[in-house]
Amino acid sequence: MDRNKLEKWLKSPTKMGHKYSLHVVYFCTGCGIIEIPPSITARWDAERFGIIPVASPRQANLFLITGYVALKTLKAIIRTYEQMPEPKFTVAFGSCPINGGMYWDSYNTIKHLDKYIPIDGWIAGCMPRPEAIFIGVTHLWTLIDKEMADGYKKYRKDYKYYRENQEQIFGKLEWPPLFQKEVKK
Amino acid sequence: MNKSLKEKLLSSFSDIQIDITEDNKVFINTKKDDVISVLNFLKNLGYKHLALISCTDWIEENEFELVYILSSYMENDTEYRNKEKTNILVKTRIPREKAEFVTLINVFANAEPYERELHELYGIYFEGHPRLTPLFLEREYKIPPFRKDFDTKKYVKEVFDNIPFVKDRKEKK
Amino acid sequence: MRELELYFGPQHLGMVGNFSITLNVEGDRIIKADANPGFLHRGFEKLMEQRTWIQNFPLVCRINVVEPDSMELMYAMGVEKLANIEIPERAEYIRSIYLELARIGSHLFGLWAYANMLGFDTVAQWAMYHRDLILDLFEELTGGRVYHIYILPGGVRRDFPEGFKDKIIKTLHSIGGCVPDYDNIFFNNRIFYKRAKNIGIVTRKEAEEMGGVGQVMRATGMKYDIRKIEPYAAYDKIDWEVPTRKDGDAYSRIWIVRDEMIESVHMIFKLLDKMPQGKVFNKIPNPFKWNIPKGEAYVRCESSRGELGLYMVSNGKDKPYRVHFRTPSYSHGLTILEKALINASIADVGNIMISLYIVAPEIDR
Repeated sequence: MDRNKLEKWLKSPTKMGHKYSLHVVYFCTGCGIIEIPPSITARWDAERFGIIPVASPRQANLFLITGYVALKTLKAIIRTYEQMPEPKFTVAFGSCPINGGMYWDSYNTIKHLDKYIPIDGWIAGCMPRPEAIFIGVTHLWTLIDKEMADGYKKYRKDYKYYRENQEQIFGKLEWPPLFQKEVKK
Repeated sequence: MNKSLKEKLLSSFSDIQIDITEDNKVFINTKKDDVISVLNFLKNLGYKHLALISCTDWIEENEFELVYILSSYMENDTEYRNKEKTNILVKTRIPREKAEFVTLINVFANAEPYERELHELYGIYFEGHPRLTPLFLEREYKIPPFRKDFDTKKYVKEVFDNIPFVKDRKEKK
Repeated sequence: MRELELYFGPQHLGMVGNFSITLNVEGDRIIKADANPGFLHRGFEKLMEQRTWIQNFPLVCRINVVEPDSMELMYAMGVEKLANIEIPERAEYIRSIYLELARIGSHLFGLWAYANMLGFDTVAQWAMYHRDLILDLFEELTGGRVYHIYILPGGVRRDFPEGFKDKIIKTLHSIGGCVPDYDNIFFNNRIFYKRAKNIGIVTRKEAEEMGGVGQVMRATGMKYDIRKIEPYAAYDKIDWEVPTRKDGDAYSRIWIVRDEMIESVHMIFKLLDKMPQGKVFNKIPNPFKWNIPKGEAYVRCESSRGELGLYMVSNGKDKPYRVHFRTPSYSHGLTILEKALINASIADVGNIMISLYIVAPEIDR
């Protein structure tokens, strides 16, 4: 075992724990239902990167938003994201969450997903190949090392403005605000 | 086979126009009061499969055109006859300003979700339907979305592009 | 006992795609089921009216994400019928081979979903691996793993590359050689028999009244297959059989899936033997200024889930006037599912939903 690497790992075991065991919420939105199952089965094995799908969002810390987001799905995504424990990371696939993509003039899809929940990384492709997904996840590891993957901290700090955006598109929301202190101010 | 169908229809109903193309598609145009009896007549002849209920918006003529597409299942489980190749399209027109029609659930039981979808996307009211609640859409629209005078690009600009990014909202404050 | 309302939400393993059901239960038994689609609605038919005829091809294959090829075929057949275009003979054979490969891939995906729901993880991994071998073939032919855009009005986009025919034969031999393993571990398994026999029964009378097509109809004994009733592409030039069963429950539907896959492999070998030489594409007018004459058309084909239909209206301009797809999952998912779930137990909901072979993006479009 390399002595330098061992020292680096022991310097920050929390970062090593965050990086090498990302549990994914098993929620395939949109078009991603065809490229997530090949990534987690035997041929393009995702478990060697530490990624394993779990059933409940309370046990997960990575959320993959694969493809376009319709209005009904956005409510489910916000609820799922708020139930995940911190630290949590989101990665969006394809060009539809960036600026609407192919459905730029549709009346039922969200054009910029960044306005409603914070996103740490984007992966290009329609749908991206399993190899592209793995390159994206290893890039997320370097971001975690440099402490630049701070979407969840931004959500906590600017929660008032995220909540105003969500209320502008949906009207009154059925669930109470997540961080009471920031909103009451 | 289709010629005898044409003769039977012409002899039972007045004011009906029938077109048969060479690849076994039969186009029938009727008045809106006759539609239920024509469909009942065709169902008794053996065309029991309602494949689709569709609607076209002819905005220049100020009318909606409802289309009912029927086909037939096999009666003998292993023999393929000419009857299964036929598709019958029954078309009728209803006025666009006050769009109402009768429901078809008593004749074909699987017409229920098609009529629910047309009510939501075009604004047509079907009398006698047990649940005309929204099927796909999440919110209310002033003009039903599939009509030709609903402008999608203007709608996207008004609703989605008006919401600012979070950092813009912060700077404005 | 009290009646409770359960919300079987969009994130669960019981459906390919996002689809939710509201169940009224009394204890463990279901009394009423209410389907709630709409999580994947993009308004395709409105979007297609605002793009030209040739610009709609990348859009139309995203309606059914598991098997996009039958959607491309439908749109191309509709345009060919309205504009009176003929296709050369080699293109018909290539279209049939391409569609049969897509059918095998889609059935393997369905097997992954069903085996995962029942708990047979090994069979799920094998099925997904074999589907990936077929996606490699597609990538060599068309350039993309999942969205191909290969069928155009007038033929297909390009001919088979060098040595492609031998690659197809080799891949299909390697998949077909594993069928005894699949039989030993899944299809002849006593646990599969106990969990799927007499579950989710749809009788012939109910299927006829509620518009059932595809495997739901073939499991009641009727040989209802559009490839035999109204043949398109090259299906009337070889002889093949339609597999059926008698009982109408989940067990028969999954056995039909297995028989169809084996029949498709034999069909591909026969088509590869008989394929003639020639060109694969007839020229179409300039796509940027293509005005299709006035008229309307209704075409249909057999996708891996059932009978797929398309109603198309043109008013002489360069954009479609009205396009409406009749997808098989519409009547299966919204009418038959609500009847088949009555008096079932909660643990069987996923089992019944996947055995009816529903794909949620097809319902919402």
